[in-house]
Amino acid sequence: MKTMQLRVKVNGEPMEWSIAPGELLLDLLRRHGYYGVKRGCEEGECGACTVLLDGKPVNSCLVFAAQVECGEILTVEGMARGDRLDPLQEAFLDHGAVQCGFCTSGMLLSAKALLERSPHATAEEVTEVMAGHYCRCTGYLKPVEAVLAVASKKRGKR
Amino acid sequence: MFDQVEAFHRPGTVREALRLLESGKGRARIVAGATDVAVQRDQSTRILIDITCAGLSYIRREGGGWVVGATTTMAEVEQAAGMRTLANGLLARTAAMCGSLQNRNRATVGGNIANGSPAAELPTALLALDATVEVATLKGRRTMPLAEYQAARRNGGGRALLVEVGIPRPPGGARTGWAFQKFGRTALDISVVNAAAGLQLDAKGRVKSVRIALGAVAPAAMRAQAAEVLMTGRPLDRALLAEAGDAVAEEVRPITDVRATAGFRRDLSRVLAMRALEECALQAGCRL
Repeated sequence: MKTMQLRVKVNGEPMEWSIAPGELLLDLLRRHGYYGVKRGCEEGECGACTVLLDGKPVNSCLVFAAQVECGEILTVEGMARGDRLDPLQEAFLDHGAVQCGFCTSGMLLSAKALLERSPHATAEEVTEVMAGHYCRCTGYLKPVEAVLAVASKKRGKR
Repeated sequence: MFDQVEAFHRPGTVREALRLLESGKGRARIVAGATDVAVQRDQSTRILIDITCAGLSYIRREGGGWVVGATTTMAEVEQAAGMRTLANGLLARTAAMCGSLQNRNRATVGGNIANGSPAAELPTALLALDATVEVATLKGRRTMPLAEYQAARRNGGGRALLVEVGIPRPPGGARTGWAFQKFGRTALDISVVNAAAGLQLDAKGRVKSVRIALGAVAPAAMRAQAAEVLMTGRPLDRALLAEAGDAVAEEVRPITDVRATAGFRRDLSRVLAMRALEECALQAGCRL
């Protein structure tokens, strides 16, 4: 089967990968060890496979790898800087927002994108974003709390 | 599907996309946001033609109305200043209800129409706005009412590409209202029933023009023409809304499926049409 060459930036690093023409972004990323991108429903309903593509949250199970040519992808692996966790990751831990953890990477990335476009996001905005992430453990309360805590910290810093 | 795909193209022009589609001889499929294509996993597809680089992502004024390129995403429609003012923001509000943010960041206006789900939301609102679509083939381009495109699609589409949606200038003025209502099992689910309405009142509070469209109650989004005729020229009050609701319930042709029975959809049609009209009335400054 013919393969294609794909150039894409992942977590700030330029990559050049061989891909199959019909390959999905989810499979491509996991193939290269980005296991934080979870295989959930594989039909764009659960959000476990969420990554940021050019800053926007997308379900990687519904993106063909070939479509991200020259794009920039952020996975959860790219959120921490060495040992320093992203404030959202810290908040999720501090607020008890992680139980089984399967939805967590997706939620973190969606929350990161939300706070980037709306630094003082309201509870309503956070909840709306969380609607794209199925979570069977937490009941959403703690994850929303954690995101709002980071949002209000940003408010406090002004 | 995915293992069997032999080639993935990203043509830079519509013409190139059409040539690829033609040479694919039925084994080629157009893809944009992929939110339907990647779920459907059609086993006969060998060639994918990604049209998101073909210059079809735009929202702009044209004539007295607007045109939206086929690969414009739902999120872009939701956020565009022009879409938030056109018809009191009807399209922006409707696009915001098309699934999760992750899906809205990818799903396209053209894909949503071309995919032809009877339960789609945007076509309902577009139908209420008398939208047109422009379709391109190797022989040229043609513009047609959305309803005509939907009917043609059901009778076998052929090698045509939907390239643009046109929205003519809607009835305007202070006494207008536009609303969209959706009922689903959850916040982001497929519509069990959806409805779009537009209302324009004259100075005496009578209905000057009205549009009522419904989705998920027929093979494609439909206009409730009997209800519209019934309302036109009459003073807007609760009694008229009830009459219109009854007419809508009579006109719809819902089916029973996994999500709901036909009877429930019929009842919902009445309720959502009335709620949409009430919302319009409020915007139009009418106290019911």
